[in-house]
Amino acid sequence: MIIEFENVDHVYDDGAAAGVRALSDINLKVRDDEFIGVIGATGSGKSTLVQHMNGLLKASSGKITFDGRNIYDKDFSLRKLRDHVGLVFQYPEHQLFEMTVFDDVCFGPKNQKLDPEEVKIRATEALKMTGVGEEYYDASPFDLSGGQKRRVAIAGVLAMQPDVLILDEPAAGLDPAGKTEIFESVRTLKKNSRITVILVSHSMEDVAEYVDRLIVMDNGRIAFDDTPVNVFKNVEKLESIGLAAPEVSYVMRDLKEAGFDVSQDILTVDDAVDEILRALGSKTDPGDR
Amino acid sequence: MLRDITLGQYYQTESVIHRLDPRVKLFGTVICMICVFMMNNGLTFALLTLYIFMAIKLSKVPVSFMFRGLKSIALLMVLSAGFNIFMTEGDVIFSVGVIHITIQGVMLALKIIVRLTYIVMGTSVLTLTTTPNRLTDGLEKGLGFLKKIRVPVHELAMMMSIALRFIPILTEEADRIMKAQAARGACFDEGKFIDRAKALVPVLVPLFVAAFKRAGDLALAMEARCYNGGEGRTKMYPLEYTKADRVSYFVIIAAAASVTAARFLMPDMTGFVYDLLSLIT
Repeated sequence: MIIEFENVDHVYDDGAAAGVRALSDINLKVRDDEFIGVIGATGSGKSTLVQHMNGLLKASSGKITFDGRNIYDKDFSLRKLRDHVGLVFQYPEHQLFEMTVFDDVCFGPKNQKLDPEEVKIRATEALKMTGVGEEYYDASPFDLSGGQKRRVAIAGVLAMQPDVLILDEPAAGLDPAGKTEIFESVRTLKKNSRITVILVSHSMEDVAEYVDRLIVMDNGRIAFDDTPVNVFKNVEKLESIGLAAPEVSYVMRDLKEAGFDVSQDILTVDDAVDEILRALGSKTDPGDR
Repeated sequence: MLRDITLGQYYQTESVIHRLDPRVKLFGTVICMICVFMMNNGLTFALLTLYIFMAIKLSKVPVSFMFRGLKSIALLMVLSAGFNIFMTEGDVIFSVGVIHITIQGVMLALKIIVRLTYIVMGTSVLTLTTTPNRLTDGLEKGLGFLKKIRVPVHELAMMMSIALRFIPILTEEADRIMKAQAARGACFDEGKFIDRAKALVPVLVPLFVAAFKRAGDLALAMEARCYNGGEGRTKMYPLEYTKADRVSYFVIIAAAASVTAARFLMPDMTGFVYDLLSLIT
């Protein structure tokens, strides 16, 4: 399973954004079993990009193929494509509509025309994966808290068992604890299956420590498409497009400039601690930590 | 998907008509409607056509924009014209089987089409040159006299401007929800009528929930700013008549008078046209 973009452009020709070139000349491949982060400042085209992956938006020019087949071909079913590529929108809790949590999660698999038993199995699995307790299954989704609603909404897409799961700002508007919980469940999900996960965010800190590949968007173009470590080496360029590397990268860079022999390939605070201790060598006893 | 809906289609440009007080434009539009229905002979038609095109010219809005509004009532026009062509009794000029077309029918159909076109164009001049906010301001002040008989004019105007403001927000929201449900395999353009209606439930429920929530938030925000209706409330940009507005009132009344005079002083030409047509056929 591969999604491939070839010279894709997208120009909005309706509504308030008319005439805005949201994507220009996008070339990229999404393969099996990848963990990708898409990052960019507000209005850089992240959401537009991922909405092309399941055919919700149509490219103004260029070609998008799924498993080698052009998704805009007449005999290609976009609905089938959406079985394979699941997209969780920003604030997905706004799309809940059923009377009970369980029924809402069943909506996707039901649309896939699965038999009722299978629908139930998938819904239960999805709710378990996102950590929604059984006591909520019969509750109205509108009675839940914000974080719980979001889990239910994500379960609604997971229940379709897509090969590619795209999450557009999954942690937007959640408190730090809720944020970590969501990202951790995504990480667990990724660990236990071979699906490709695409995390969209405007915050480097959020995705840097999870993903293996980072696509940085700038003004509708792909600025970087590399491993997080390699991307974060370009701190100046990142800042010029309205982003920032994780705080840790700055610390490590400053340390290096100050003459310490530390590596620049550090993404998380924990790794940074180890690296600094290593550089300081015998001066400090690591046991004190 | 839903973005093609345009309401309150204000056309931004700098023109005499744009600068006019909204009350003048509202008055002009009402007068234009009345004149459209007074139109009965060639002279009234010519005068009205001249006036409407002068107004469009002055507004600097491209004529194509005026015609755009006609699209939405195209079906209505075709239907009413069709009924008139085929159902009117009179001098037959053309007939196939049971279908007879009469001169009177054709004339009536033409009249209807012209009337509908002019009504749409007249109102388009108003809506294209006036922002929704100015329009509600104009309505509020223009209908202010109704307060004396306890009509809550200010509240109605406020409701209208809030409603107008919410239209683009709600269409955007609906668009997003439709996309989100499409991503979950929902289909909006397949199946029988019932299926399609059912497919809208997953869109309408969240849309209503969001709309109520927004309305609640707005009410709270208004409360927090001590809003309590129109009593003693002043405007940041109060409507005041300028010289141009007074001149415009005069021009509108003069134009209306000329159409009225043309209607009542000129003989009805329809009979003459019928004679002419029957001579040709």
